[in-house]
Amino acid sequence: MKFFKKTDLIVIIILLIISATVYLTYNYLAQGEEAKAEIYLGSKLMKTVNLSTGENYSFSIPGKENVVFHLYEDGSIAFEKSDCPDQICVNSGKLHIVGQSAACLPNALILKIVPRNGYNNNQNDVVV
Amino acid sequence: MSKTQRLVLTSLFFAIAIILSIIENSLPPLPIAIPGVKFGLSNIAVMYVLFFIGGKQAYAVAVLKAIFVFSTRGWIASILSLAGGLLSVTVMILFMYIFKDKVSYLILSIFGAISHNIGQLVAVSIVYTNLYLLYFFPLLLLTGVMAGIVTSVLLKFIQPAFKRVGFYNSN
Repeated sequence: MKFFKKTDLIVIIILLIISATVYLTYNYLAQGEEAKAEIYLGSKLMKTVNLSTGENYSFSIPGKENVVFHLYEDGSIAFEKSDCPDQICVNSGKLHIVGQSAACLPNALILKIVPRNGYNNNQNDVVV
Repeated sequence: MSKTQRLVLTSLFFAIAIILSIIENSLPPLPIAIPGVKFGLSNIAVMYVLFFIGGKQAYAVAVLKAIFVFSTRGWIASILSLAGGLLSVTVMILFMYIFKDKVSYLILSIFGAISHNIGQLVAVSIVYTNLYLLYFFPLLLLTGVMAGIVTSVLLKFIQPAFKRVGFYNSN
């Protein structure tokens, strides 16, 4: 078996193209969607946050006061502080696009951005 | 290779896997954070076992590694490790079986690393609530390609040392 063949380059380029295409398409499709944030402790939904209120404040989940979330005016939300050793959740930064998520596994907390109306609701539901 | 040689080499690689996973845990976390997913440094050891010893032994090391992770980092991390390791070995075996000698180590490493990441992500979304896998998919491909290149370059450097100790590719 060889270490490297010239055709491998083609495979790598195809993989990179697929990756870029999926990324761009996804961001394009998700950009305009109304979003809300859901915070889970394990698999239990603890809190839902409306992202488009323009408010700016910090909050915690009851029982997990050592982890602080922050909602920003521009409609993004982030893990602000955590007592976990790796700080992956804090380093995930601000989230605002549907599908983004950040997790603090040591504290079993998951922060997800989901569509405001859920995925299965009728999109044509307009108030007349 | 005799049975005893296989046994000794497999356990040697398991020891290397443990050391790699300790090194990885002491590194700063990746700037692009995917919940619970690690770079998979210790998966390198599993790949080498597959390339040089055999499929059964590679599965054994993946399972042993998960047990080790369980004893140090708890059951969630352990399930992630197991899912990543098993999927990675399975995908690489499939590639070797389908393409035989036509596939290169580079491609095997890349797809091994990608499936390692995908296995972990699927496990995260099963253990916790559903994440949107599609959102993470591009990142997984990218980190998989990088990890695969690193693995096969390392392999290229280590190969002469393997040969010196009478350790040839048995596939």
